[in-house]
Amino acid sequence: MEAKRGIFEKLFWTWTPKTEREAGDSVVRNLLLHWFPAKVTNASLSFGYSFWLGTISAVLFALLALTGMILMFLYVPSVERAYQSIKDIEFAVAFGWYLRGVHRISAHLMVAVVFLHMVRVFLTGAYRNGVAVHQNRPLNWIIGVALLLCTLLLSFTGYLLPWDQLAYWAIMVGTNIASAAPVVGERIRFVLLGGNTIDQNTLIRFYVLHCFFLPVAVLFLFVWHMWRIRKDHGLACVDRLARTQKRIAAIVPTKTYSLLGVAKGRTVHVEASLVDEESETVPSSPNLTQRLLVVTLVTVVAVSLLAIALPTPLEEAANPKVTPNPAKAPWYFLWLQELVTDTTIHLGGFTVNGAFVGGILIPGLIVAGLIVWPFLDRSPVSAAGVWFAAARRRQNTIFLLLVLAVLVLTIIGTFLRGPFWHFYWPWDAWPEAPKHF
Amino acid sequence: MKPNKRDVMWISALGIALLITLGFVYDRHFAPEWKDYQDEFREMIAEKYGEARAAQVPAGVQQIWVKELNRVDRCTTCHQGVEWKGMESAPEPFRTHSKEPLAKHPISKYGCTVCHGGQGYAVDTESAHAVAVEHWEEPLLGAEMAAAYTVSDRNALLQVNCNGCHRYDRETKGADVINRGKQLIAEKGCRACHVINGRGGTVGPNLTNVGELSPEQYDYDRLNGKKSVFAWHMAHFKDPKAMSPATVMPNFGLNSKDAQALTLLVMSWKRRALPVEYIPGFQQADVPTPEEQRRESEMLTGKGAFFVRKGCFICHDVSSFGIQSASKIGPDLSIAVTDVQSRFGRTLEDFLAQPTGTMAVVLSTQIHLSNEERAEAIEKLHEAYKIKEAESGKAAQGEARKGK
Repeated sequence: MEAKRGIFEKLFWTWTPKTEREAGDSVVRNLLLHWFPAKVTNASLSFGYSFWLGTISAVLFALLALTGMILMFLYVPSVERAYQSIKDIEFAVAFGWYLRGVHRISAHLMVAVVFLHMVRVFLTGAYRNGVAVHQNRPLNWIIGVALLLCTLLLSFTGYLLPWDQLAYWAIMVGTNIASAAPVVGERIRFVLLGGNTIDQNTLIRFYVLHCFFLPVAVLFLFVWHMWRIRKDHGLACVDRLARTQKRIAAIVPTKTYSLLGVAKGRTVHVEASLVDEESETVPSSPNLTQRLLVVTLVTVVAVSLLAIALPTPLEEAANPKVTPNPAKAPWYFLWLQELVTDTTIHLGGFTVNGAFVGGILIPGLIVAGLIVWPFLDRSPVSAAGVWFAAARRRQNTIFLLLVLAVLVLTIIGTFLRGPFWHFYWPWDAWPEAPKHF
Repeated sequence: MKPNKRDVMWISALGIALLITLGFVYDRHFAPEWKDYQDEFREMIAEKYGEARAAQVPAGVQQIWVKELNRVDRCTTCHQGVEWKGMESAPEPFRTHSKEPLAKHPISKYGCTVCHGGQGYAVDTESAHAVAVEHWEEPLLGAEMAAAYTVSDRNALLQVNCNGCHRYDRETKGADVINRGKQLIAEKGCRACHVINGRGGTVGPNLTNVGELSPEQYDYDRLNGKKSVFAWHMAHFKDPKAMSPATVMPNFGLNSKDAQALTLLVMSWKRRALPVEYIPGFQQADVPTPEEQRRESEMLTGKGAFFVRKGCFICHDVSSFGIQSASKIGPDLSIAVTDVQSRFGRTLEDFLAQPTGTMAVVLSTQIHLSNEERAEAIEKLHEAYKIKEAESGKAAQGEARKGK
């Protein structure tokens, strides 16, 4: 029986289960929480292992979905009206500037956080199977790579929607890089644009992809990603814990809910925990839920503050006749644009276009490499779920060098490239942009 | 089963932080800059005309939507006095708009920015005036811009927009700077080398749509100071060779004022898709051909003008006077003298005095003839009959001759 609560408890109510049974029930019975485990290890809860980057990505996606759905009521995906409707959102719609700011900041952050999440998983070797049976972490890693690509595509398709100069020319650069793919390049560009120029057909294609197909894909992949984590017995750090406790022998069915034991094998989640429950785990409710709330609040507050501090830009209305100088792709593709420039070689009067090497070949190899890497990684199981494991030093170093290269190229492309793609130090002033008056 | 104290503390702290952040967002929405202006304006009206009038001052974001010109102007959110009488000497943004331009350009049909420039969507001064904001190409062409270019008349710059519609006017009332520019075009013989508005020489570039060029399309290497299209043209008009050394355009020794006039004029030469009702002097009507005009004037001033004036011609031809009815419902009145006799068994005079049938209705409801007019009608009908008879006599003779 619940104790009688005073007015203070009623106002500042925090739910505290009295028994483990009650705590477990609260998770299983709740629609929103049922996909959590009943108990969770302290290691998985710690900030230091995962930095909660996956959760932050999910919160950002939720923010994007929420603000996006409101913005859909206000935005008109037509060449004639799109730019005006953004101006209206910015100036006339109640809280429109805030909605748009939150949507934009969340989008940029999501690209960055999903990328960092991948870096974390690689550096901790968390795509490796551990000690428990039926694990398939490499598959979850591939789902993660697909989620990263979807995130990039979501951001890229959203980039066009304001229909300003920034949007128009970023998509021009991006789709021109895509057209450098051999044989099918031109075809890809044609399909993406719905023609040979960026026009109404492109806008509606990007809009439908942005508002329906890609979010649905992300939702589907996200659900799969979470489900796999449960099937893989949690984060990789749990396997490491199990190994150190040498409790592998405990992974046997201790009880069965299958019909009178007739069914062979184990049923869904009745196997004993990998680790010593008493010392290493706590009930998910309220420990996991609380920490989830902390991470959610941190993310929402950070996004809000950034949305207030950084005004959301809207350049001049898209004008196919005037190319801004420099015309840049979205920042997360600037390492590609920079690669394209750096791999464009002039030999006398002869020019080797870098669009194929820098825009297709290298990123293609990187994505392919990411997908197959878990199957090539021959490091011992003991290296999974550990930051910078000694056994994975070489591959971690190479991976970090690649990450660093992408970061450096992105920074150069974003901050150090000015008109005519010339190099400018931060303290070098760009030439003044001319105006009518 | 105790909650983690540190997490609870974090949740509380972050909850408060979120509340403060959202409080700021809320405040920014409910205390915008324009509300202060609206309050101030309402106070001014209350002081001057009493509370009853002040209550009529609209509150909230105001906008003028001109669909035809694709403009949404929210300027009147702050500039509430624009259409009020009696605020002529009030400070901006409360001042009444000068009367003359508004008489022909009502705000509801034109908005504000189509003449004044600025960003109509915006509802804060900085973004709306757009004098120093990035990414808005049309700044407010007012005192601030005029001062930046040391233009003495603060309304001179916005005349560039007058000529957006009044491009083909020889002279536009109130647009003195543009008028001076047009005068200079004629005086200096610019068309000897340049095509302007579709005609002129081909030595220099076609200037018909030179205002369409974007700022990036000019070469500022030889220009000192602010890089703008305006500054470039000013420098070019004062000394063409200084801006483009290879040019053969002579230096006309223009003073600053004339250079400004020409600069604004060439900048106004843009390609604009104006709805027809916005083109000055454009008539939405069929233009009659010369043949139609001749026939119309003959009908109005010739011998049969009487029948046109009284409206008889709506149903009847009077062919001997060259009057043609559009509908031809009734018989040709040229033969009325005999035709009435044969149809009604009465004389024309008798019939007109006491008409029967359709004519009874027409002459009692639509066409009223005084006694004098009736007499004139009878006289004219006899005259018409004589002409008709003479014509048919000639024709009969002709037939007879042919027959021989």
